[in-house]
Amino acid sequence: MTAIPTLLAIILASFFLMRLAPGGPFDGERPLPPETQAALQTAYGLDKPLWEQAWLYVSRLVQGDFGPSLVYRDFTVSELVAQGLPISLTLGGLAITLALLIGISAGLFAAVRAGKAADKTIMMLATVATALPTFVTGPALALLLGLWLGLLPVSGRGEGWSWLIMPVVALALPVSGAIAKLTRAGLATVLKQDHIRTARARGLSETKILFKHGLRPALVPVASYLGPAAAGLLTGAVVVETVFGLPGLGRYFVQGALNRDYPLVLGVVTLYAALIILFNLFADLIYGWLDPRMREG
Amino acid sequence: MSGQKPHPSPSGEGPGVGQSKTVSHSPTPTPPLKGRGYSKHWPLWVVLVLIALALVLPALLPWTYDQIDWDAVRAPAFSGSHIFGTDEIGRDRLARLAAGTRVTLMVAIAAALVSLVVGIAWGATAGWVGGKVDEAMMRFVDALYALPFMFIVILLMVIFGRSILLVFVGIGLVEWLTMARVVRGQVMALKERPFILAAEAAGTPPLTIILKHVLPNIAGVALAYLMLTVPQVVMVESFLSFLGLGVQEPLTSLGILVKEGADDMDMTPLGLLLPGGLLVLLLVCLTIEGERLRDIYS
Repeated sequence: MTAIPTLLAIILASFFLMRLAPGGPFDGERPLPPETQAALQTAYGLDKPLWEQAWLYVSRLVQGDFGPSLVYRDFTVSELVAQGLPISLTLGGLAITLALLIGISAGLFAAVRAGKAADKTIMMLATVATALPTFVTGPALALLLGLWLGLLPVSGRGEGWSWLIMPVVALALPVSGAIAKLTRAGLATVLKQDHIRTARARGLSETKILFKHGLRPALVPVASYLGPAAAGLLTGAVVVETVFGLPGLGRYFVQGALNRDYPLVLGVVTLYAALIILFNLFADLIYGWLDPRMREG
Repeated sequence: MSGQKPHPSPSGEGPGVGQSKTVSHSPTPTPPLKGRGYSKHWPLWVVLVLIALALVLPALLPWTYDQIDWDAVRAPAFSGSHIFGTDEIGRDRLARLAAGTRVTLMVAIAAALVSLVVGIAWGATAGWVGGKVDEAMMRFVDALYALPFMFIVILLMVIFGRSILLVFVGIGLVEWLTMARVVRGQVMALKERPFILAAEAAGTPPLTIILKHVLPNIAGVALAYLMLTVPQVVMVESFLSFLGLGVQEPLTSLGILVKEGADDMDMTPLGLLLPGGLLVLLLVCLTIEGERLRDIYS
């Protein structure tokens, strides 16, 4: 049960980091008169001692109140987040699904062909894929499929679902490479074990051995990679949302940080942290399902 | 973000792959292996050639990376003295690529060294002391692994003025976790070895043992993971620069060049494809070479 203290630590760390920053949310092009500044500060409670503000923030957060946005004046952070979260979740969810699909099948195929040309080619491609940064593949895809071939919308959300293709592919590629390698490595170890030899000796078909006895324990390393993968996807989503002009959480985070919109940044960080922690818990559950020995601990 | 994981690498596990691997580090290499060794390490050579170009080119080119050629805005490749043409405000592309690669690699090496120092100090202490201290220290590492670290780094960048020094201290502080884990494992294994026990029995102070007997023995593994940290750091730095939070103008880096190229790609696709391709090439070569080193030492 370290989830809640971790979350609290992240929120407080971000809170104080933000406040250490020079500049404030009301520094516009034209400096405001000091009285107006002071009035705004009081209105948003920014004149109180920092500790008190932190306490107020956390106690409101517990009740689900993220506070007002200081820059998008007509919106609360909850409203902005409610707009952005579905987009980010759709991107992230589709990307991890695609990455698992591609990664596990590629890893499986390579493991079956261990040592052959197909194995080496797939593993080489997987290494290349892990080294593809989203901020290069994103614009490159937009250039190729959007501008040159005109197949997909370059930015924003057009009609239907086609706008999701490029962002999701750009996000999924590096993760799928890592998953392919882990699956391949996991299978290589598992297939050497005694229970597989027994299964072979009993005359089970290779397909049955692979899918029924081999794959499940081999996926344990993949499960332990899901936590870092989720963190990576969220970071990648920041880029993808910027590149493809999608109003997801990531864009709000960067804009908020640049504009010193304290509640907006804190809200997004809190959500991100909560998502990652949730995903780690989820990975632990999968862990137990994949390897019954883990359920004890 | 930290894509490395403490799992064995896939390559070399399967039957038949092992043969070519043992060749490169067999203790007594026979003459015909020498040529093969060079061609096997092509990624390393690519990286070295790129580094050499990044160092030498700026001195040879007629243009500096921030010099504007008013007569040649968005010039196509091979026009006059601009081999790769110019960008949207008339700066020489090749000169900018060389300068950007230089900055990117400089940040990467510095940040990787920060991660090396922090990781070794943390991992060696945990592994050597052991017990409750070890458990607490490694729990801390586990907890940090799960954090949305990138966001804390972004906050740091926004707050402390985005200096280049901060870029690599910040990144280095993020990327030390894997190093700490690996070093701790190595130190724990070494601690039980007879020569260390002998040194302890002889009354050698622990710090001397660590410095003189433990560190030299983990140098290989540490080097392998250092090599793997470099592409990670390159990626983080470029990511930050891409968002406008890393290296600042007038300095440039590959991330900034990719960003500029992406903004102008409908006019001049070359501006995106050149730095993007170069960055991917660097990352791929560094990763392949790093994984190979890791497989040898683990």
